Amino acid sequence: MALDLAAAARWTARFAALIEENKQYLIDLDAQIGDADHGANLDRGMKKVMELDVTGFASPGDYLKKVGMTLVSTVGGASGPLYGTFFLRLGAAWPEEGDAAGLGAALRAGLEGIQARGKAVVGDKTMVDALAPAVDAYDAAAGSGTGPALAAAAAACAAGRDATIPLVARKGRASYLGERSAGHQDPGATSVTLLLDAAAETLG
Amino acid sequence: MIGIVVVSHSRALAKAAVELAGEMVPAEGRPAIAIAAGLDDVTLGTDAQAIADAIVGVDSPDGVAVLTDLGSAILSSEMALELVGPEIAGRVTLAPAPIVEGLVAAVVTASTGADLATVVREANAGLAAKIDHLGADSGAAAGPGAVASPTTALPALETEIEITNEHGLHARPAANLVAGLRGLDAQIQLTNKAKNKGPVPATSLAGVTTLGLRQGDTLSARITGPDAAVALAKLQQLAADGFGELDATVPIAEADGEIAEQAQTGRQIAVGPAHHFSTAVDTSAYQPGSPATERTRLTQAIGQVLARLHHQAEQPGEHSAVFAAQAILLEDPELTATLNSGVAEGHSAVEIVEQDFAALAAELAALDDPYLRERAQDIRSLARQITAELTGISFDLANLEGILIIDELDPLTATSLNPDRCLGVVTCTGGATGHGVMIAAARGIPVVTGQADAKDLPNNTVVGLDPVQGRLWVNPTMADLAELDKLSLERRNEATLASELCQQPAVTRTGRRILVEANISSLTDAKTAAANGADGSGLVRTEVLFADWNHAPTAEEQAAVFLKIAQGLDGKMITVRTWDPGGDKPLTFLPQDPEANPMLGERGIRAMRRLPELFQEQLKAVALASRRTPVRVMFPMISDVEEVTWAADQLKQALAGVKGHVAMGIMIETPAAALRAADFAPLVDFISIGTNDLIQYTMAADRGNGAVAHLAQGAKAAVWDLIGVAAGAFAGRPVGVCGDLASQPDLTPRLIGLGVTELSVRPPLVGLVKLAVRTRA
Repeated sequence: MALDLAAAARWTARFAALIEENKQYLIDLDAQIGDADHGANLDRGMKKVMELDVTGFASPGDYLKKVGMTLVSTVGGASGPLYGTFFLRLGAAWPEEGDAAGLGAALRAGLEGIQARGKAVVGDKTMVDALAPAVDAYDAAAGSGTGPALAAAAAACAAGRDATIPLVARKGRASYLGERSAGHQDPGATSVTLLLDAAAETLG
Repeated sequence: MIGIVVVSHSRALAKAAVELAGEMVPAEGRPAIAIAAGLDDVTLGTDAQAIADAIVGVDSPDGVAVLTDLGSAILSSEMALELVGPEIAGRVTLAPAPIVEGLVAAVVTASTGADLATVVREANAGLAAKIDHLGADSGAAAGPGAVASPTTALPALETEIEITNEHGLHARPAANLVAGLRGLDAQIQLTNKAKNKGPVPATSLAGVTTLGLRQGDTLSARITGPDAAVALAKLQQLAADGFGELDATVPIAEADGEIAEQAQTGRQIAVGPAHHFSTAVDTSAYQPGSPATERTRLTQAIGQVLARLHHQAEQPGEHSAVFAAQAILLEDPELTATLNSGVAEGHSAVEIVEQDFAALAAELAALDDPYLRERAQDIRSLARQITAELTGISFDLANLEGILIIDELDPLTATSLNPDRCLGVVTCTGGATGHGVMIAAARGIPVVTGQADAKDLPNNTVVGLDPVQGRLWVNPTMADLAELDKLSLERRNEATLASELCQQPAVTRTGRRILVEANISSLTDAKTAAANGADGSGLVRTEVLFADWNHAPTAEEQAAVFLKIAQGLDGKMITVRTWDPGGDKPLTFLPQDPEANPMLGERGIRAMRRLPELFQEQLKAVALASRRTPVRVMFPMISDVEEVTWAADQLKQALAGVKGHVAMGIMIETPAAALRAADFAPLVDFISIGTNDLIQYTMAADRGNGAVAHLAQGAKAAVWDLIGVAAGAFAGRPVGVCGDLASQPDLTPRLIGLGVTELSVRPPLVGLVKLAVRTRA
């Protein structure tokens, strides 16, 4: 499948739908260890993204960068600059040829942007715990094509998300809770898994 | 002027913070301030784009400081730097400062035209004042939120100081250090490098004291905060000044310093209202309130105690420093914080004071340094004062007026009494020769002991007392009062006569010249004794004179002190008693293992057998002093002839190196020495009878033990017999008495009758004893 503007728009639309669907779930997760705004913030940001006129963009890269800027200005919480950076970097690295390896490189650029912004590493109980293994799994499976690689990435992402449950948060608002943050699934890892699910469904 | 951007999740918060900071500087002098906060007026959140726009809005070649609140504010601000591009981003600093305090500091500093780095440094130090105020251990510097501790942003100043104070940094110099560095906007952490103790904040006297800084130890200081440089300079100045102890290089004990020549003798009649006092505060009836109530009560109680301490510290006199040091202990912010948090946890104020002070006292009591151990007494005393305040029990000992009724008079209480207010003391138990009683008498307060019935006297009952007869009058009748008046007049006449004639020699009616000398424990004693006409000193208590030293004084150092004392006594003969440690008189530089029965243990000469170098050094000092002033030496705690031959041999060695003559004597303190005094007669020049120990060992009764004190009180026939035997064996030679019996004029004739030729007495009583020699013997 070509990784063109329409594909990028399908992905963001599916992500927006999944966020809307899981908005309360994300709010509940965040209420346990954060400030209960993750679902609402992301939903607000993605609804703004959905207002963008896709046809006005010259390339999928430009579109995705605009998605990033929109999230930066509308999400409000920490996920604004984090998701914003992800989409900005993703858009900048979006493969013109639409090959599987190029998409892997773009995803990794997005991951690196998040890590640079949030200074989080695997084990800090953040979205990085889900996204990092997902990007690794994608690269490992990229030889089989975009579809299987995204499926593998989504599965790894879900596993990484589940693995955040026993962790003690070391970044973000949840880190104020210290040991009490253990036993709860990280909302950021949960929402980024929705992003990979959406990618597997729409780009595969 | 630099620009400032305030980034917050809340627009209302950012606006309010800007308003608050704006109050500090008139509008025309303010730097450009832009807000990037909230997604709109009500939605919480941060927006990197809005921050970027705000930065561009206040940007100038001078640069921009960005202050943020938490979480995404920081992420969004970092992202904004990417959005504005590298040229502008190059002159923008994201400050880790707390937003309210930091903004105030930033606005004020920027308005002075300061550069970006200075503004950011001041903003980052914005928490310093709060941390300093609430105490370094308040959690402000240690909580999880302090990852970017603002104080670490400033370079710390460091210095090392060698402690030169003779006794180390004990309470007084430590208090001077704390007081000298107080009120500065700086965090000063002190460490004892030599002992690897600390760091402790310099605001805490208790903390500084626990460093256990001794002479030669290195004190290292680490100072941060806006006033760091001032603090460093002050610390160095304090150190150069010996922490206020520069003049105190002559460590002669100045105890009992308030004994002036006109002081009361402690023999005067007293009449006044009775006041009961217990050193134990009964807190069982205390009714705790809510934590808020308890905190208020605690604050008020501490305030009351402090006010009193400050008042006492301002009074002239030797004890003012003690009160000042106690006040500083109580003002310790750490201590207050601990107490307050205990109350917040639901403990009652009484509970928390008893518990925390006991813990602190235990900590101090466990230290090696006797000076610091004494601070445990201060802590216990403070705890009593506060709990007394909390329970409404009057505890104002120093202001107690009238007659004190107390179960037993301990030395601490005796020194706390104000001789100008407290007319007299009645003890319910306890003997007349306990240390507390002797201290009170020495301070001119008459004492009557062992009055069990006094326990039940209601407060404010009028009582009269005569310390000489040991009599107590309860609710005296007119006739009683007339008798008391007569006695009082007699005592005053006696005192006047004694003082008028005190400089004349004491000669009995039969023409025998009796030397009336003074027992000397300090230079002040020597001066008091001279003013009261002492014929020299029959006992110089070297172990008390040098008790404060933490190293053994050299022969030269000791000789210098002996000469000072001799000068104080107008060059009259002094009698140096060699080190008499053990029992209840430990010496820092003379380590002794704990003994099961110290009074029967390694006391006096016995300890010298184990430490001949120490003994030899002291004998050399005596020999040195003998070249300049008349001096004798005597050995304490003799029970066997062999001890004397050994000591005599030691003295011979000491005199061999120095030309000088020194008469040699022994103390008669054991029944063995008294009974066999004749055995010693060929070996020594004189004897001096130490009646306190002789009574104790003869009667097998501890004079400090109220239960058996009656056996040790006065002198029983067995003791008189022993004195007679010893004096008889030395007939024709000097026979002295330096125990407490010598200080009782009523007994003077009897002692002289037994052949005693010298009486060495408490310094203020010299005149009275001389009078007794003239009129009664």
